[in-house]
Amino acid sequence: MPVPQQLARGDRMGRGPYEKSGLIEDTGLPPGKQVKERFDIFYPLEEVEADGKTVEKPSAYDLDIEVKLSYLPFGTPNSDPFVWKEFNKTVSISKIGK
Amino acid sequence: MKKFTASSALAAALILGALAVPSHAEKAGTGWKETIVAKSGKAKTLAELAKMYDSSSCVECHEEQHNQSQDSIHSRSVFGTGRTAMTIMTTIENGLMEQPYSGVKSRKDVKVEHLMGCAKCHLPQLADAEDSVAQELVNTLYSWSDARKKKDKETAKKMEEKLKSVSINCLICHNRNAITHKWQDGYPKAGVVYGSKTGEHPSDKFPKMSESPIMGDAIQCGQCHGMGPNLELDEPTQCCTSYGSYLWSYKAEVGQENCQDCHMKNSKLGHNIQGYRDPAMTDKAVEFHAEAFGYHWRDGATVRPKAVVKVEMLNKAGHSIPDG
Repeated sequence: MPVPQQLARGDRMGRGPYEKSGLIEDTGLPPGKQVKERFDIFYPLEEVEADGKTVEKPSAYDLDIEVKLSYLPFGTPNSDPFVWKEFNKTVSISKIGK
Repeated sequence: MKKFTASSALAAALILGALAVPSHAEKAGTGWKETIVAKSGKAKTLAELAKMYDSSSCVECHEEQHNQSQDSIHSRSVFGTGRTAMTIMTTIENGLMEQPYSGVKSRKDVKVEHLMGCAKCHLPQLADAEDSVAQELVNTLYSWSDARKKKDKETAKKMEEKLKSVSINCLICHNRNAITHKWQDGYPKAGVVYGSKTGEHPSDKFPKMSESPIMGDAIQCGQCHGMGPNLELDEPTQCCTSYGSYLWSYKAEVGQENCQDCHMKNSKLGHNIQGYRDPAMTDKAVEFHAEAFGYHWRDGATVRPKAVVKVEMLNKAGHSIPDG
């Protein structure tokens, strides 16, 4: 979103229209330009005993991935979101191999 | 003795002349005396202001457009979803009352000029009203808020309806704000509806229609969906900056469509001008692709499986998203 500067000076963000003037940055999607985002999500691990050793192994081999592109005019993602796009996929990893 | 009589007659004529022309600050341009406010005089009450720009008769012939516009938030531009009303109150308390040189110590000090930071867009016709209307507006806002706190639904609804009695209606776009370059194109005249045609208009109040030079152009919307700080104000405010983004990002580097193309024509929403709330807009606004896969990532002896999620988004709108 366009991050407004407070009274067009300094490093503070303005919030109300009475103090917003100018921009510090715009984190929104610019028109006509492709924006790429990448998320690396580690599988949860747990410690298990194997061959007399304590090793870490995934506690789950399937992750349900949910990506939502939401427009949030106010509040929190749980309060008043407008979900524009959604993507769902279960991502699995192999259980064998070393 | 004769000379004295002539002077008296002239003085009397000047006084009568002053009484005949409603109070309105002199402007440099010519033709502004033909505007709605110059002809009717400034409104003294909210009801008078609503009447000054009453567009209820438009529905008789333009029912479809009227009904469409009622679904747009323009039709409740002061109240909004309730958040607009609350933000105007926040502006009074956290803005005006805290600004040492605003002249506002309490709600009772709020004048039209103080509210124009919000009203420039949310109620531009407030500029055509006396300070008594600013006071009435402030009192209505707080009565609504107080009633909500007390869970007095009846009063809250009554105040909400009063706040909705003034808005960005037909006459704001098709008359008052239909001309931006008034020294070039003239001031919008009372009795004229500005749109796509010139000629007779079958209406008692608005017997003429005239082609607006900007009705199909982005600047019509850019008057409010702005460029950044409103530097013409003594205390600049800033809300949406979408017209600036449209000019400097979209027009400069991407395309040639305008606000009306996307928000009215291509969306088929007509006068139900929408943004982030309506799938007709949001479905086309962003191209969205996502992919996800998993693998056993390793760093030396450490193996940590992970999922990689890649998202690609292309903003197809004529301005940055989000903005308004």
